[in-house]
Amino acid sequence: MTKYILKRIFYLLLTLFIVASVTFFMMKMMPGTPFTNQDKLSAEQLKIMNQQYGLNKPIWQQYITYMLNLLHGDFGTSFQFNNQSVSTLIISRLKPSMLIGAQAMILGSVLGIILGAISAINKNSWVDSLATFVSILGISVPSFVLGVLLQFYLAFKMKIFPIALWDGWRSSILPSLALAVSPLAQIARFMRTEMVDVLNSDYIELSKAKGNTKWQTVVKHALRNSLIPVITIIGPLTANILTGSMVVENIFSIPGIGEQFVKSIMTNDYPTIMGLTIFYSVIFMIMLLITDILYMIVDPRIRLTSKGRK
Amino acid sequence: MKLKKVLIAGVTIALGSFALVGCSSSSSSSSKTKETTSNNANSVLRISEKDVISTMDSSLATDTISSQNLNNVMDGLYRYKGKTIAPAIATKVVKPTNNGLTYTFPLRKDAKWSNGDPVTANDFVFAWKRTVNPETKSQYAYIYEGIANAKDITAGKKPVDSLGVKAIDDHTFEVTLEKPIPYFSQLMSAAFFFPQNEKTVNKWGKQYGTNSDTLVFNGPYKLVNWKGSDNSWTEEKNDSYWNAKSVNVKKIQYQVVKDPTTAVNLYQSNKLDRALLTGDTAKQMKGSDGYGITKKSSTFYLSANQQKNEIFKNANVRRALSMSVNRKQLTSKVLGDGSTVNNSIVASNIAFDPNDKTKDFVKETSSTGDKYTKYDPAEAKKLWEKGLKETGNTGKTFNLVLLGDDTDNAKKQSEFLQNQLEKLPGLKLTLSNVPFKSRLTRAKSGDFDLVVYAWNADFPDPINFLTLVTKDSSYNVGKWENEKFDALVDKSLTDDANNPTKRWKDMMDAQDILNEEQGVAPLYQLGEAWMTNKRVKNMTLNPGSMYDMNLVELKD
Repeated sequence: MTKYILKRIFYLLLTLFIVASVTFFMMKMMPGTPFTNQDKLSAEQLKIMNQQYGLNKPIWQQYITYMLNLLHGDFGTSFQFNNQSVSTLIISRLKPSMLIGAQAMILGSVLGIILGAISAINKNSWVDSLATFVSILGISVPSFVLGVLLQFYLAFKMKIFPIALWDGWRSSILPSLALAVSPLAQIARFMRTEMVDVLNSDYIELSKAKGNTKWQTVVKHALRNSLIPVITIIGPLTANILTGSMVVENIFSIPGIGEQFVKSIMTNDYPTIMGLTIFYSVIFMIMLLITDILYMIVDPRIRLTSKGRK
Repeated sequence: MKLKKVLIAGVTIALGSFALVGCSSSSSSSSKTKETTSNNANSVLRISEKDVISTMDSSLATDTISSQNLNNVMDGLYRYKGKTIAPAIATKVVKPTNNGLTYTFPLRKDAKWSNGDPVTANDFVFAWKRTVNPETKSQYAYIYEGIANAKDITAGKKPVDSLGVKAIDDHTFEVTLEKPIPYFSQLMSAAFFFPQNEKTVNKWGKQYGTNSDTLVFNGPYKLVNWKGSDNSWTEEKNDSYWNAKSVNVKKIQYQVVKDPTTAVNLYQSNKLDRALLTGDTAKQMKGSDGYGITKKSSTFYLSANQQKNEIFKNANVRRALSMSVNRKQLTSKVLGDGSTVNNSIVASNIAFDPNDKTKDFVKETSSTGDKYTKYDPAEAKKLWEKGLKETGNTGKTFNLVLLGDDTDNAKKQSEFLQNQLEKLPGLKLTLSNVPFKSRLTRAKSGDFDLVVYAWNADFPDPINFLTLVTKDSSYNVGKWENEKFDALVDKSLTDDANNPTKRWKDMMDAQDILNEEQGVAPLYQLGEAWMTNKRVKNMTLNPGSMYDMNLVELKD
């Protein structure tokens, strides 16, 4: 197990290195400069600015400098926020995004699993149809449309929640709800399909034959075996939520990280682009790692190291 | 069995974390809400902003939001009072001596920084030298050109200390120019000429201006609890400001709201006193109670590439292009964001006749301005055919590229222009809507046939716009040339630089030539649409494109 995790961490670092390198060179190919005032700078002034920032050096030299700094944990300073360090920037904007993302994921997966299970158990009944309707709606209505609707009815009209702005936990409820619906719907779909399969299998019959009640059978056997494919999609879904929260963050004026990423790309803010790419890659890979570990817990047949275990 | 435990544990943790987060922040949120409500009565002005502050270092600020907030918390030599420049740290508006080359500013003795230090001439010397120092990496250092040696210093050719500034004594600041700058007084109210407290800047080094702990203030307000990239920030009245008694509003709260619908919802629920409207929201709210627009000092114009297309060297062809566009429809129906029709490359509401402050530069030249910018498709067609005949192109077809930005509004604008211009016989346009940076690069390298170009004034003077289309200007992307125009622009900057009346006449004459020739076809002046609560008074944009927040009043 430890060996396996160490090996995974090694691969993680290797992947990170490749991601960082590819991003670095692709980013340098984008047209324009990182200077916010570039339309007013003459060619001569641009040259001086580039020189001051070391942007006139050959790209491979810039690459080596960047990678060496990275090894020391130095992400550099942002161009759009003059002299502001990229790590401070990310950290200060991370909390709201993480809070909303985590709440949305927890809410989405718990409700999704329950909805999917209920749907499967009551296959082809009106409950099933209703659950299917809910999940199709959840998949087809984008989070930002839902965000606007929630804001209008629950906040603007009924005044139950704050309309927008970041002022404590209450402000995070509506955006979390808006974001939770899509993973909820997808997880419910997966869960239903899988559980219908499982419920038709022999061991369920056996469990029933042994005299277990329907409820016991579902919880002990069906639920557990249906969770494997669901776990597979939870990893990518989480990463999706974190990167995809930008529009929802805008609707609710949340000082999150999502929009910062887009803005850094639009303004050629090289150090911020790099910092955020690396950050997102780490999140994504950690999610994949957690997924793998969860597999093992859920399904004892899956052993992550074939030879390492005795 | 094991799984059940895991599941139960998982759900418990999940619910627990909800509850925990709920507890920990609900206490702080309720106290915050209380604070806001109690302060409402106590004159707190709440404004939406479209983006965050990028820096509070006056040497580095390039965007209007940073400049506006610097303007709120710092004081320069002058400050606008309505449309006119008034003394601030300087005790009077100085007339230059030595043929317009020397300005000696007497400074007030009661001005203080928020750390208790007096504001002295050295604070200006220090700040200005810091800005032109290439190591500071200021993107606005070029605005110092004209002050002795500034250009050479920014280019790294001369030592920073050779800049033409001097502290004669603690309260006398002297500036030496290498050529007269007729708009020098207007510049002195802008953020990039603000003083800096040497002690504070040196203490924080590169971190200066990245959060409110690194700042000291000498202006009407103090920025508090700003951490560098916050979506909201607060400015409190600065009691140690020399003119604190003139400041009405005790507290300003800025809040970044990017979604216009959210802004309107917040405004209508009385969470904002002033909300910025964009896109369709601006169109929807037009005419409702509280709706208003401000003119920004940016103009948009159509430039035709004469180097690539011979026909654009013909004035009648250019006039035909200009007269084909229904600007009124463009601004009210297509854009609808508060932009207004403008018949000049120069923005209106920034410069006024030196002998009669009620006369706006653009209005004074509007007779020539209107001549070829009024919408008249029939006349346009005639001029177009006349122009084609003159250039020997009668009956020919022209397949051209119209270059523009890729924002929603810019795309709609391109489609509208395409529709309008293609009414000219034989003219076919292909649209190329690209990201801003690509548009700039392509325009400057001449890779287009027609382009919608925009300019935002660096300082409030017509010359800032007129020099865009002189022969040597790097912004003259269409390569329109006119010797008389160039000569007049040059004269206003040299021979007549020290004579405001003559200089004004030169610029008007130059403008008339540009209008007559339609060297570029002016389209509109950028505007912003706002919803403003009735209790907010005196919040108007000054010619330098700043709100003077010290003049704003709240009347419940």
